[in-house]
Amino acid sequence: MYYTYNTRTKLYKMMYWILPVVSLILLCLLYLLAVASNPIILPSPELIIQRFISMVSKPIKGVSIWGHIGASLIRVLAGASIAWVFGILFGIMIGWNKTCDALFGSVFLMIRPIPPIAWIPLIVMSFGIGEFPKILLVFIGCFTTMVTNTYSGVKMVNKEIVNVGLIFGANQSQILRDIVIPTALPSIFTGIRSTIDNGWKIVLAAEMMGAATGIGALITRGWNELDMAMVLVCIIFIALTGAALSFLIQKIERVLTPWDR
Amino acid sequence: MNLDENKVLELQKQYKKQQHHKKIKHFVLCCVGILSFLLLWQLLSMSGLVNEKYLPSPAAIFKTFVYKLNHKAPDGNTLLTNIWSSTQVSVLGFLFAASIGIPLGLLMGWFGLVDRFVSPVFELIRPVPPIAWIPIVVVLIGVNIQARAVIIFLATFVVCVLNSYTGIRLTNQTLINVAKTFGASNFETFWKVGIPSALPMVFTGARLALGGAWMTLVAAEMLASNSGLGNMLSAGRKLARPDIVVLGMVVIGAIGAVMISGLNRLEKHMLRWMKRD
Repeated sequence: MYYTYNTRTKLYKMMYWILPVVSLILLCLLYLLAVASNPIILPSPELIIQRFISMVSKPIKGVSIWGHIGASLIRVLAGASIAWVFGILFGIMIGWNKTCDALFGSVFLMIRPIPPIAWIPLIVMSFGIGEFPKILLVFIGCFTTMVTNTYSGVKMVNKEIVNVGLIFGANQSQILRDIVIPTALPSIFTGIRSTIDNGWKIVLAAEMMGAATGIGALITRGWNELDMAMVLVCIIFIALTGAALSFLIQKIERVLTPWDR
Repeated sequence: MNLDENKVLELQKQYKKQQHHKKIKHFVLCCVGILSFLLLWQLLSMSGLVNEKYLPSPAAIFKTFVYKLNHKAPDGNTLLTNIWSSTQVSVLGFLFAASIGIPLGLLMGWFGLVDRFVSPVFELIRPVPPIAWIPIVVVLIGVNIQARAVIIFLATFVVCVLNSYTGIRLTNQTLINVAKTFGASNFETFWKVGIPSALPMVFTGARLALGGAWMTLVAAEMLASNSGLGNMLSAGRKLARPDIVVLGMVVIGAIGAVMISGLNRLEKHMLRWMKRD
């Protein structure tokens, strides 16, 4: 009995380290097979590495790859930070005041289900493809997320605590500052985290539909020139930047909200 | 306490009346909000403050809506054909991805070895926004329904796996121990304890995924398609027809809302056992 148990755990431990390696090897083999069956379209690994090196060392359209990523990041940050300010204010307003909720919340609920990407044509028609329309798009996408999160955070406030505050003679602004906003903070931070993720996706879409700089513009360029190696390298950069952003925001959240640990 | 029963009943009635009044007031204010929004919009475009070339009035959009019901111009399909084509692709892609992604996520969350086998590959796909796949998929498969279905699959799959995984990981250890104490095998515990307790998270994932699928589909249709609502949007943009564009946005928003509320209904129905009053 003891013996079988021991061999089983040993086998388990072995598999625990072997399986990830096997799956990665399988993925590589699968990709090589796909390249072999479709050599014109799919780039071989050497080609991808070559393209990677050339993209990192040589500027594209006069801007280096880091410049393109930076341009996209600045758009995300600009749009998102404006959305934080207005989203939190609007969310608290419709979450706290019932009349505001009915008057403005209904209009907000009507507009919210429109995906941010669907705004692109309208915004491009009105404002062209410069810097402002992209920031506006990121803003629209982040604003809805921010308002929804703030709103549900404010709605989570315990009625009894508010009543205690009222009994002890707090006025509306004190209740808002000392009770409602602290309760809503975790939800607001969740909102901030998802706006960064969303913003990164939206800016990509906005740049793919027309832009001079930005990582999304590079993807479209690779697509138009049927340069799939370039598209793949862009995807790698996008994934890395997205992952780094999530990681960073998590770290920042940990510092800012120590009670959440 | 000498509150007599009649008085209590009366107070109760009064309270109910008050609540009823509050509800009516809320509803009226909602209507006032939406109507004044539309009216303001209409007045702004009629007064010329907002150029109709960029943002048409609600009345003009409604006219276009009626026109598009049985006219193919300018994008080549009637509104209903567009709606049908978009909904069909997104629902099919969503169902396909959910039926693979949810079980996979559950298995990954419960069985360590499955997790070890799948995660390396999964972690590679996860951070890529679904929109970034569009060029590769379109070049490989072409501008057709299959390509769009694959893109939606990629968009939906990741969210479904992630949420089912987290859901089953959060299973209460006490419940698992109870099941094991009563002699349940690992698989039985997984089936009868793990999965039911993961269901709320699974539904959250499904809802997020459906929203994502709809958004990604619109992007895919705008970038590479010859039918669907996204195509209508980009045709409206190319032909400088803002009424078509705004009509498309409204329809996309409405269908998205309907799909999400359908899923909410299903969730309420399937999770009714969780509510214990």
